[in-house]
Amino acid sequence: MKISSTYKKVAVLAASALAALAFTSAPTAAHAAPACDGKVPVTSCIGATSDGAPYSMMVPANFNGTVYLYSHGYRYNVDIPSAIPLIGGYKITNTPQPGPNATIIGYLLSKGYAVMGSGFARQGWNGDSGVATDVELINTFKTQFTKTTHVIAWGESLGGFITQGLAEKLGTQLSAAAPLCMASSTVEAELKMAGDFLWGVKTFFDPSIKAGNYSAGAAGYAEAMTDLGKVFTVMGKLQAGIGKELVTGAPSWPDTTPAAVKSMLGTIPSRSALLLIGLMAGLPAQSAHFDGTTGPGSPNSSSYTGFALLGSPALAILENGTNAAALAILATLDVEQQAGGATFDNTKTDYAAQVASEASTYSAALSGSTATNGMLAYLAAAPRATANPAAVTKMRSLLQWTGKISVPEVTMVGVSDPITPAGDSTYLANQYAAQYAAQIKANIKNHLPRGSSNLISIYGLTPTHYTTFDATGSPVTSTPAANGTNHCNFTTAQYKTVADLLAYASTNGKHLSGGPLLTAVRKMGGSTVDLKFQAALPKYYSQD
Amino acid sequence: MFVQRRTKGGIFAAAVVAAAALVASALPAHAETGVTSSTIKLGVTIPLTGAAAPGYNKIPAAMNAYFSYVNANGGVNGRQIKLVVKDDAYSPAQTLSVTNDLILKDKVFALVGTLGTANNEATTRLVNSQGVPRLFVNTGFSGFADMKKYPTTFPLFPSYATEAKVMGKYLADNFAGHKVALIYQDDDFGMDALKGFSTAGTNFVAKIPYAALSQAQEGVVGTWVQNIIKSGADTVVMFGVTSATGALALGLYKANLIGKVQLILGSVGSDGTTLKGLVGPALTAALAGSIAASFLPSPADATDEYITQFKAINAQYNAGATFDNNVLVGMNTAMLTVQALRAAGTSPTRASLIKAIETKGSTWASAAFSPILYSPTSHVGYTGYWFGKLGLDGNAVSVDGPGKYTLYTTDSGSAPVVKASATRPAMPAKGLPKN
Repeated sequence: MKISSTYKKVAVLAASALAALAFTSAPTAAHAAPACDGKVPVTSCIGATSDGAPYSMMVPANFNGTVYLYSHGYRYNVDIPSAIPLIGGYKITNTPQPGPNATIIGYLLSKGYAVMGSGFARQGWNGDSGVATDVELINTFKTQFTKTTHVIAWGESLGGFITQGLAEKLGTQLSAAAPLCMASSTVEAELKMAGDFLWGVKTFFDPSIKAGNYSAGAAGYAEAMTDLGKVFTVMGKLQAGIGKELVTGAPSWPDTTPAAVKSMLGTIPSRSALLLIGLMAGLPAQSAHFDGTTGPGSPNSSSYTGFALLGSPALAILENGTNAAALAILATLDVEQQAGGATFDNTKTDYAAQVASEASTYSAALSGSTATNGMLAYLAAAPRATANPAAVTKMRSLLQWTGKISVPEVTMVGVSDPITPAGDSTYLANQYAAQYAAQIKANIKNHLPRGSSNLISIYGLTPTHYTTFDATGSPVTSTPAANGTNHCNFTTAQYKTVADLLAYASTNGKHLSGGPLLTAVRKMGGSTVDLKFQAALPKYYSQD
Repeated sequence: MFVQRRTKGGIFAAAVVAAAALVASALPAHAETGVTSSTIKLGVTIPLTGAAAPGYNKIPAAMNAYFSYVNANGGVNGRQIKLVVKDDAYSPAQTLSVTNDLILKDKVFALVGTLGTANNEATTRLVNSQGVPRLFVNTGFSGFADMKKYPTTFPLFPSYATEAKVMGKYLADNFAGHKVALIYQDDDFGMDALKGFSTAGTNFVAKIPYAALSQAQEGVVGTWVQNIIKSGADTVVMFGVTSATGALALGLYKANLIGKVQLILGSVGSDGTTLKGLVGPALTAALAGSIAASFLPSPADATDEYITQFKAINAQYNAGATFDNNVLVGMNTAMLTVQALRAAGTSPTRASLIKAIETKGSTWASAAFSPILYSPTSHVGYTGYWFGKLGLDGNAVSVDGPGKYTLYTTDSGSAPVVKASATRPAMPAKGLPKN
């Protein structure tokens, strides 16, 4: 690909500007107008909204009137002690983020688009305040840069949720929007997957995990940090145990497994128990490094088939679950503290029904129907989590998106995203389908053109084979995550294509369609834009 | 920057589309997916590699042989059939991935003969949402006849529940007083069988479940044999795939039980050629006398008109392939597919294909002796079995004598098992359907 010198210059500037922003003290008081450095070819501005959210704006000298407003994803709203594996040492940050990354920001600036984004006033689950911040930020930008004609909103994960909420609030005040790897329509839906999985880990592998219903204040924070340590520890034990099981065939459960579980289910491999709770929670059975299709050695060897069918799905749940566990615990703590009590309730959850179709598909990895039924019977009789009704009411009062779409929107998500399942985007598409059908009906009745769809849904697909093995036959987990896996795992080409689709829609008032759309999606690679493609809906929506 | 070209007659086209469909589409309108003026593209997923591949890996070549024969004779309404074959290694995750390719990239018109219960389960959401016809699936799970859950899926094989009921009747008639043990694959396949045996009132001295493919794991088969010995069983019903039958045979051989227990094999696990490949000719010969249930005629039956015709096609278009149950399954599936495509009309659509099968499928020629029960309210395929004894070469010969087939028919529910004479439509002239 040819990169112009101008593009390179702007991209480098964008990257250095971003780096500078990270070290800039965030204003603590609201500014009436942003402070701009007046530099060329890109002017950078910083400021804070009335709620104290720091923001940044970057405007090229050849600004064409269109600005991309980016909403960043979930950031923990507590510091994480350094002793915690994987995420230890995290400090709360509200550094503004005007785009997905420096490369994409540079790409947009080089084309004459402005970019902006805030760090939000509070971290954690912040849908309501996030939308309010974005609304104010748009107005501030328009006031500062009067040449502005179009505002495109986009964001990822929780930022995708905020983007959709913003699009529903502002309607045609935006010209296009892209909720990418978007969170579920409600925080309750988002946290159900986390709650089900954590409860399963607690029930099967370590009953000392609290898994929610944390105390108020500092005590609750300590409990959550303790949970983080315990969950990561038990995941490590499961990883070791599964490794042994795949070699010896003998079950190897963590030493923290309750005696009753060992007594009733001890002849079943722990990998099957882990897979079961992952599937019932709705976690994908393919992960960054485990495809469920590849084993070591020759494809015709029993070790190849054994690993692919029996081991890989459980290891995928382990990888996905470990990545999701931190967010699950910390988001639960956050929402409980916002709502004033426990919000997860599985007293009426029928896990057998919830896992029915997956249990059939993954029967071999689950060690057969008898073992599966035994595990489900244990879960059915195990103590359940009870929510605080007042807290649930409070939680349900938080922002929700409904799927209403008024301007061209693009969604994009990997089919095996373990944090914000692809089914969330499918749910949005299904909600919009009803709206669009009614619109067509009305247009036909009024002798108007039916109008084109306002939604393009892009799904990142996983390759058929991507698990690799070292010389000893052990799976390699240090390679980059496969396409379609991990959370908001997009390539530069995919981001750029979405940005271009938004620009087209913003300019033309409708989406690119037909052959050019298919060509654009094909060129970015690893994705489908097939209209009928349906990802599995999250369990909250009770699809299955 | 993208460029959107305007198509001629766009406004007119928009009006037509508006009247035809309410579903949103930013994608181009087109003729039916997978159908051109000269071709029809079909897809199949099947294990070509891995532990489950032996035997099954012969089916796509057999299907292609029959399609090549039809193509050489003018195709279907002037169109050549192209079959895209994808290896799923019997892994549901791989089945889903390669089915994504078949539907979203290869743009097949329909899936045909996709193999495996869990594998077909894994792709159901995709198949349903796309409205892709899934014809003559290679599994006997009775659930696939549920038209609400699987509206585009057409099972062909008799259900495992049907097979178990029929087997239960056969056991009651011929093995009264024997101590019978059951080994079964512990998933929907085996659960279906348990349901059928329960309906038949069959009592087992031992029920031995095993997780799919666990027969390849250390010690698993030894446990089966120990349980057989412990139960005192003199008869063993094996309800699993042929590789499990092979593993059992080796286990019985090691325990010096060959010839001391009577084996009764389900249709899925009794292909002689596959068995020979797994355990060798000597042990296969030692299994002679084992009883097997089948719904297609014996591939060794030289008097059967379907067998002779398919054998001739196999010799010409599938060079080197031994004609066995798997080749027969492949050719029979392909011949039914051709009839379905013909019945779908000169401008076939997915909807017209499904309608054709529902309204006419019960009349089509096929090698099985059982009628096909397709109708607008039923996606049930075959419903009956005959019993044979394995010969020294592993091929079954009817217990009533060569070429004499007594059919046992029933449903997947509570209907009684009925003995019937085997009847079926004649093989079309030269094996080329003219429906």
